[in-house]
Amino acid sequence: MSLFPASRMVLTRQALLPVPRSALLRFKGTTSSPSPLEIPNHSVATATPAANSVTAFPETEPEAPSDFATSAYSPTNVIPVQRGENDALDAASISGAPLDLQARTVRIYKPSKAATQSGNWNERQWRMDWDVLSRGHRWENPLMGWQSSGDSMQGTHIFFKSREDAVAFAEKQGYKWLIQEPNERAFRAKTYSANFFHSPKELKIIRTK
Amino acid sequence: MVINPTNLAKTTRVSTGWPDARSRVIRSYRDWQRAAPEIVKQYLLHFPPSAVRAKIRQEFERHRYVQQLPVVDMLITKSNMELQETMNYWKQIPHIMKYFRPEEDPRARVSSNFMNNFLEGRN
Repeated sequence: MSLFPASRMVLTRQALLPVPRSALLRFKGTTSSPSPLEIPNHSVATATPAANSVTAFPETEPEAPSDFATSAYSPTNVIPVQRGENDALDAASISGAPLDLQARTVRIYKPSKAATQSGNWNERQWRMDWDVLSRGHRWENPLMGWQSSGDSMQGTHIFFKSREDAVAFAEKQGYKWLIQEPNERAFRAKTYSANFFHSPKELKIIRTK
Repeated sequence: MVINPTNLAKTTRVSTGWPDARSRVIRSYRDWQRAAPEIVKQYLLHFPPSAVRAKIRQEFERHRYVQQLPVVDMLITKSNMELQETMNYWKQIPHIMKYFRPEEDPRARVSSNFMNNFLEGRN
């Protein structure tokens, strides 16, 4: 403002004030809620806290533990139960992993074969996936529409040779786990010699090509 | 050929038993508490050494009831490593401020109240 001489100033102070919402909505036919300028400072509405505000539910117990990775998307952090000497080693407290992970459930399963002709290695190994977060799992980036996520474990998989290995890992790390039993593919062996076996009923042709 | 260890390096060892682990923990705690004013001076923190001392106490209290000796050994080792990295100025200000995130950022806190968590949408 000081760069322009006073005689050339077109913008006045009045024009720079924010336009009240009631003026904007006048021609749109929508009912306008009272703008912040119109609500009185002292009223019953501000004296009693709203039922959905934080002040309505004061903290009675000490705060839940939090660390550097706690965010708005963290699940309710659990205070991990201390393990005895004969329990699984408490790897979670020394691994440096965020406290959030202790509150998450893990699914251990054998993936089913993809409906392609590519091969079945993926159905041979046990896989561990983290259940999705209720909030912050996935949203659309407002600028480009890309898929954003606040979940650091989304798309993370750990592979194991057996279900016992997977359960031992989950126990050590303090995750709640659930095992999903695999659907094994039924395989019926076909041999060409079966075409020549005796059959009292109608003969069956086994095509082995 | 002599290998000179870095400043504040500790020899790797395992605690011989619970009394040994206890004395190692207390020694580590005392080293940290004695270092609090130096940390504030080095990293130009905007809070007094008492805040750093409270944070040190909080971090030690977090693992007060561990009952497995190998875990305690690992925690002592990590504590010594952290102290070395802090006092040698190998860390930077953001690394120190990571410990103070719940105090600095109001969103980095989880309420222990069910209703507040429900209203925030935490599972």
